Amino acid sequence: MDTDACIHPYPVGTASVRRMAMEAGALGFGGIVVPGEVAGGYHGVRIIPAVIIRETDLRRVIGQIRRQANSGNLIFVDAGDNGFNRAVLAHKGLNAIRCLHQIPKNGFDHISARLAYENGIAVEIDLYPLIHEKGIARQRVLNRYNDLMRLYSRYQFPLILSSNACSVLDLRSPDEIRLLCTLFGMKKDDTNRALQTVSTLLSPVESVMVTP
Amino acid sequence: MKPRPPTLREKKRYLLLRIDPPIPDPDPKDLYFSVLESVTSIYGDAEAARMMPVVISCGSGYAVVRCIRGYEEKLRIAIVTLTSVAERRIALHAVATSGTLFALRRRVSGLSPVSFETISPLHFRDREYTARRYQGQKVDLQEKGINRQELLFLTQDDLEGI
Repeated sequence: MDTDACIHPYPVGTASVRRMAMEAGALGFGGIVVPGEVAGGYHGVRIIPAVIIRETDLRRVIGQIRRQANSGNLIFVDAGDNGFNRAVLAHKGLNAIRCLHQIPKNGFDHISARLAYENGIAVEIDLYPLIHEKGIARQRVLNRYNDLMRLYSRYQFPLILSSNACSVLDLRSPDEIRLLCTLFGMKKDDTNRALQTVSTLLSPVESVMVTP
Repeated sequence: MKPRPPTLREKKRYLLLRIDPPIPDPDPKDLYFSVLESVTSIYGDAEAARMMPVVISCGSGYAVVRCIRGYEEKLRIAIVTLTSVAERRIALHAVATSGTLFALRRRVSGLSPVSFETISPLHFRDREYTARRYQGQKVDLQEKGINRQELLFLTQDDLEGI
């Protein structure tokens, strides 16, 4: 199931969650992740609830992750500086780290990449700035994602792709996303895998424990 | 002047694009400038010159864009990054690619035309809107006013829930 890993419907955006689901379904998505929404479905598109933690204080972030642990929501945390990211990525219960294009260049390094792989925490690739920014701002984002792909090719941590659409006009189809991702050297197989990572986050593969 | 023989002409590709929202249709000239700006912004002047993007036609919720063969994928990427035409928010989605205009026009004739009904005025969250109801649940709301004309995208179920 191809899933858009984050969209923002009304009142943050200009389209209702039902309309977003309908348009996403028409574009070829099987699910959308919506912060602050309840789980459900519309026109055959699964609506997956999520929580975005935007705190910069580590204790508060960990407290919020613990509070949300059994809520059924996907838990996303906005990235910060290097130390913050390493500490957050070492914490189990988190599903994804986002906004990596907004942090300093050394904010996400090889150690963070290894921690993300070991704990099965996905790294979000936000397509919104690629579509809406121009000039230096877009070049900077492309540069950051190129660097991220270099780490990905070595550590193979999970990736998720999100449009962060605030309107139906910001949504892009999986095919268009595959094309867009070639701009920063992401292969089509990796893009396909990234589009389906959300399903893996919802039902993670765990080791089997045999009880006597 | 004698025209070039077909074997010496550049091979071209035509892209059929769906315009979202379909109404009102953008001006073809404005659309051409927006496409060209997108291509130049991503690939630069040299690649844009090689690609030669041209808007062939635009209307009824669809547009046909031409480029040199081999550049259709790059043109599609540039079109994905196009977000506005003449300061109006827009999204273009590629529906089909073809080597001839004839095949593309045949494809357009097979698509259902955009039909809608207008409901005015419609009150939503203490504001007055003009609503366009499309086939299959979609309803677009355009706020009435001079300064700020908010555009909302809802469904019939959302309006029934008010």
